[in-house]
Amino acid sequence: MADDAKKKEIYEKLRNGVIQYDEDACKEGAQEAIDAGLDANEAIFDGLVSGMEEVGRLFEAQEYFVPEILMCADALYAGLDILKPHCKQMDLGVKGSVVIGTVEGDVHDIGKNLVKMMFDVAGFNVYDLGRDVPLDKFVEEQLKTDSELVCLSAMMTTSMVGMPKVIEKIKEKNPNCMIMIGGAPTSKELADKWGADGYAEDASNALKEAIKMVAFLKKLRDEKLKK
Amino acid sequence: MVDAAPLKQLLKKEGAALVGIGDISKALPREIRHLNRGVAIAVNRGLNKDSIDLLCGLQRSAEDWIRELGFKNLSIPPDSDRRTGKLITRLYKLFCHKTAATCSGLGWIGKNGLIINSRYGSQLSWATVLTDAPLKTDKAITDSECGDCELCVKHCPSGALKGGKWSLSDPLKQMVYYDRCKALKSNRQRFDEKPNCGLCVTICPYSRKSRKKSMKEKI
Repeated sequence: MADDAKKKEIYEKLRNGVIQYDEDACKEGAQEAIDAGLDANEAIFDGLVSGMEEVGRLFEAQEYFVPEILMCADALYAGLDILKPHCKQMDLGVKGSVVIGTVEGDVHDIGKNLVKMMFDVAGFNVYDLGRDVPLDKFVEEQLKTDSELVCLSAMMTTSMVGMPKVIEKIKEKNPNCMIMIGGAPTSKELADKWGADGYAEDASNALKEAIKMVAFLKKLRDEKLKK
Repeated sequence: MVDAAPLKQLLKKEGAALVGIGDISKALPREIRHLNRGVAIAVNRGLNKDSIDLLCGLQRSAEDWIRELGFKNLSIPPDSDRRTGKLITRLYKLFCHKTAATCSGLGWIGKNGLIINSRYGSQLSWATVLTDAPLKTDKAITDSECGDCELCVKHCPSGALKGGKWSLSDPLKQMVYYDRCKALKSNRQRFDEKPNCGLCVTICPYSRKSRKKSMKEKI
């Protein structure tokens, strides 16, 4: 087992790799963590996620903008891809699977991708349908995978109008499934009216929310470890 | 102001044919407006896996150099290597290498719709690194130097070239009927030929001059 100094160094490398959107550093750091026999979950949360928290701060302070955020997320994924196969199933009280996609007629998926990142980090099984997804495909996929959660995204009002149909169909067949909607034209009122269980406004807000949720997961995990 | 000479030297030593710094602040969409300098990098080699790898390596060196100074960077990879499956990929199309090349004085847009450099012609492969580092910029090329030459327009097998003259003051001017060029490409593919006919590159007098020169150097 690696000593504490080495461990700290590797986590710092992962953290900085995410903040400086340096994919190679993240890959190296992740490989070092595995080689040193470190706990993969810990490396994700104390390294990668801790970096993403700082990125969230930089974004709020308007030092980072959308391109940096996307590159940071790419760097996080580069590390995550290596660490994930070594992860033990986390027990945070939240686990399960989610179907996510941008609805038919819409090709905007930056926000969707950032939200997806949160689920990936949290250890969900993510079924990403991509963008411009036919409405029935959401229903089909939900039934097939029996996911607890379905996330629908749209940036244009014209494509958003397909959302209530999907919600209705899924709820009809599977009332317990939670549905979240997101994208610029959505609102809390619409979510309520259509019977969705949650909503996020746009990529920036989705990102803030996603990072907040990831940070919350990290806190949960830390508390659990303390006990 | 940051002196860009060390960066240029570094990249040239690693195999770049041309490196230029352009002030691109006028050509940026909102999402990337804070990255107002473009480092244009060109290699003078045939379009194959090796030159793409070389270009990506050069980009990587430029990124590291800029990161070391504590500034931001965004690499727009070569057009033929638009790595998919990454989140940032979607933003690549917001910026075109031609902007960086003309703004950094490395060439103009010829009647063939390609960047023409007075020394290398239009056979270069390009990559760009955007940054907010206040690098000292080079002087932009504002007008076409094609003159009356219309060889590419006359020889284009699909009749895709309009023959218009480019100027930096009218950057949105359409130079090429892209659908015609594309139609020829897919036709060629059907007959198992290489999709790019490349005539507009090879016929350009600037490209020919450059090839002649490099052939002489080889002998």
